[in-house]
Amino acid sequence: MPVISPVLLPINGFTLALALGFLLIIAWYDIHRIINQFFAIFLAMATIWNAGFFLVQIALLLELPLSFMGFASGIAEIGFSGASVALYVLVTILAGIHTRRFRILAFISLCVALAYNGLLIITRREIGIQPSSGVSFFYFLIFDILTLYFLVSYRRKIQNVGIIAGITIFILGQLFNFLNPASGIASLSATIGATGALILSFALVQQEMITPLKNQRSQLEAMQRVSLAITGGIATNSVLKDITEQAVEWLGADAACIFIKKEDGLELVAPYHLPERFVGWRIQAEGTLAGKVTTERKSVFVENYKRDWQGNHDMPLAIETFGSVIGVPLTSDEQVMGVLMVITGVQGRLLGKEDMHRLELLSSQASIAITHGQLFAEQQTLADQLKKLLISTENPVLAIDRKLRLIFANPSAEKLFAIHGADVGGSILNLIPAATLPPNYRTVLKEMRQNRVYIYEISLAGKIFFCHLAGLGDKRIEGWVAVLNDVTELKELDRIKSEVVRMTSHDLKNPLQAALANLDNLRDDVTDNNREGVLLAASKIEKHLERMNRIIGGILDLERARMSLTRLDLCTPADIITNAIDEVLDIALEKNVELQVDLGTETSDFRGDTGQFGRAMVNLIENAIKFTPEGGSVRVQAYNDDECVTITVSDTGIGIPPEIQPHIFDRFFRGQQPGAEHISGSGLGLSLVKAVVEHHRGTIRVESEMGKGTTFILSIPAAH
Amino acid sequence: MKILVVDDEQDIREAIGRKLRREGFDVVLCSDGLEGWKAFHTDRPDLVVLDIIMPGGMDGLTVCRRIREIADTPVMMLSAQRITEENIIEGLNAGADEYLVKPVRLNEFVARVRALLRRAQIASSDTDQNYDDGYLSVDLHRRQVYVKGRKEHLTPTEFKLLAVLIENAGRVVSQRDLLEQVWGREYIDDVYYPRVYVSQLRRKVEQDPANPVYILTEHRIGYRFEKQTRQGE
Repeated sequence: MPVISPVLLPINGFTLALALGFLLIIAWYDIHRIINQFFAIFLAMATIWNAGFFLVQIALLLELPLSFMGFASGIAEIGFSGASVALYVLVTILAGIHTRRFRILAFISLCVALAYNGLLIITRREIGIQPSSGVSFFYFLIFDILTLYFLVSYRRKIQNVGIIAGITIFILGQLFNFLNPASGIASLSATIGATGALILSFALVQQEMITPLKNQRSQLEAMQRVSLAITGGIATNSVLKDITEQAVEWLGADAACIFIKKEDGLELVAPYHLPERFVGWRIQAEGTLAGKVTTERKSVFVENYKRDWQGNHDMPLAIETFGSVIGVPLTSDEQVMGVLMVITGVQGRLLGKEDMHRLELLSSQASIAITHGQLFAEQQTLADQLKKLLISTENPVLAIDRKLRLIFANPSAEKLFAIHGADVGGSILNLIPAATLPPNYRTVLKEMRQNRVYIYEISLAGKIFFCHLAGLGDKRIEGWVAVLNDVTELKELDRIKSEVVRMTSHDLKNPLQAALANLDNLRDDVTDNNREGVLLAASKIEKHLERMNRIIGGILDLERARMSLTRLDLCTPADIITNAIDEVLDIALEKNVELQVDLGTETSDFRGDTGQFGRAMVNLIENAIKFTPEGGSVRVQAYNDDECVTITVSDTGIGIPPEIQPHIFDRFFRGQQPGAEHISGSGLGLSLVKAVVEHHRGTIRVESEMGKGTTFILSIPAAH
Repeated sequence: MKILVVDDEQDIREAIGRKLRREGFDVVLCSDGLEGWKAFHTDRPDLVVLDIIMPGGMDGLTVCRRIREIADTPVMMLSAQRITEENIIEGLNAGADEYLVKPVRLNEFVARVRALLRRAQIASSDTDQNYDDGYLSVDLHRRQVYVKGRKEHLTPTEFKLLAVLIENAGRVVSQRDLLEQVWGREYIDDVYYPRVYVSQLRRKVEQDPANPVYILTEHRIGYRFEKQTRQGE
């Protein structure tokens, strides 16, 4: 006979009431969940078992008839067997291996247990309290052992210690039921079972209610962190790393990474808890898990990688180390850009389908990050290209902000203005000479409003630049950029052009005026029959027409001399000088300038164009006469000097100021020194001389003293 | 009539000299500014022809300004350079009455010389009307202009311009009429002459040349002389 313990009964009742309370909470929370439904069934069975046990105790206490005793023990039997079956189903659900077949099996078993025990109650009334009938034991053996088996093999899946403990204690309680009633422990069976049920219900409440709520919070927090990372950080890789880290922490996984789709496969980025050397790891799209995700555009879940995955491996050592793997696609505009892959180790947590759904939430965030990153990278590339362009351009480029602080200067600008990288951020007003700033800011701003650009001219380092100023920014001006164009050569061309105009207007107009005036006089003289006048006018007209011809000839000579040396005669300096003197004799006489020639000892010949060199000499001597006042003299010398023939032309003229000496050989340059304003000339003479001398591989230089005179020294290599 | 010709180009001045002598003028020829300036003193010419760019540190414009400091003798500039209107105005502002650009044909040159001389003569004998308001006093007969009691030198062209405006006081004289009456029929198209001379004249007779009270501009039409009421000194 079992020991009747009046103390145990209230404990049993109290425990069961608590379990029922938890059941109510769970049912109220979500009755549609299958686990909650089966937990309710289990709890109902456990209650029935306890109730039967309770009735048996009552009957023993009150010494009720045996028939009641049989009825009570029958109920306890039903509860006992039912609880075993329900527990088994519950564990299959918890382990995630629950299927319809299990449910049918369980349902049939339950029906059999009910029918058998019901029959037993009806037919064998006098059986007394012998609960451990064969059927009960049979059920216990089958279902509880199965339950234990699942519990052990799916412990990584179930994980919740409370559930495992509760179930184990409950099974332990049931086991006590079959011990020898005389030992007295059997009477504890129901109590232990009830305690197990209580622990189980507590653990279930925690797993089904509290944990999801907690998860929701952590989910929101993870989302927020990812969002922050995306909006805050621009460097994509760090954002992606944040995402993988969040995914791992959130799912309780061990590692994660992202594969980005490239043209020839997939590239691994942002590994978390994976070796860093995996960065840039490339895999084929065919056959791999990540590839499957990209091609099917949907998430792939592999519970047990070693067992379930048949394809190629995404990473080295995958088969040895991977437990569960989830891959979710990262999409943008319906296009798969990559795969977020979360991995648990062999010993780690088993992932489930619901983890996959949670990961999908995260993947949408990651997609945004990747899109942003790609846009940013594109922009960065463009900016880099632009910068390279600006750096390699020869035009100096400067950019300043609204507060006139330097933002950027390319190497040419740095060189021109002598500024350095450290000057960036400094005020432009201190960095460049004031003379190079635009003269009037008001005009500049007005002009830029109208034409978007303002152009002005600056001179710097002996060069002339056009400075193009333009605003930076679309609507609101964020600063200005200045691009400098070197127009020194253009300016020189411009000067030559205006000199041509000046020359034609002045140097050609004076002889033209003289010729026309004499022509008018000639007409009068013809009318008057003034023979002398006619002859005079005619000679004047001829003289001035020839003068014009000489000027035009000078231009052509220079063009010819600039081209090349066509002939190579043996030139004798003495002959050339004598011929040249003959040609300029008239001019010298007219101006009353004495001509001295000193050919000294025998001079060497040189190779060249006699005609061209003769013209150069005429030009040089004519030039000397022109700049020599009346009564002065011009001296021409020739002598051998080393391997060269040297010819000098000295005058007692007004001299050339040092500052214009470097320019006298320029085309169309005409000395404007005091006293030389009236001297007409084409401005071509000396440039022709220089061109000819250089064609003869010679040199020309000038020595001059203001008011005393000028000497031109020519040196030509002698012929052997 | 004696004409001084200053030009550094020998053949030009000689050809001009021959032409002028043939036309019955007395001619003095000089080759640079300084020589010309001296000749102006010694020979007292009735008209001066000046080249602008000349040797010797004294160019045509300088000579012209020097002459204007002491005399109203008509001056004609003759130059190969300076072809823009601004350059011509610069020459006129120096006190020249005429500006010719080389090359110029001698018949035209002589015609302009005659017109200039005529202008100077007419200005001295045309009328006996006078004007006096205390500030500005103009004796048209004796060709004398007094501003605040001080004698003011006016070139013949300036005086002729002032005389024409005073004769038509209160009425608008059109640009064309001014050109025809002051300069002559040949000058009808030289529209910038009146503009330059009016501003020159204002500088001499107006109290505030920027806000003239005597010579008023009728925009795009011409000019009008407005008599002022006598002011007590």
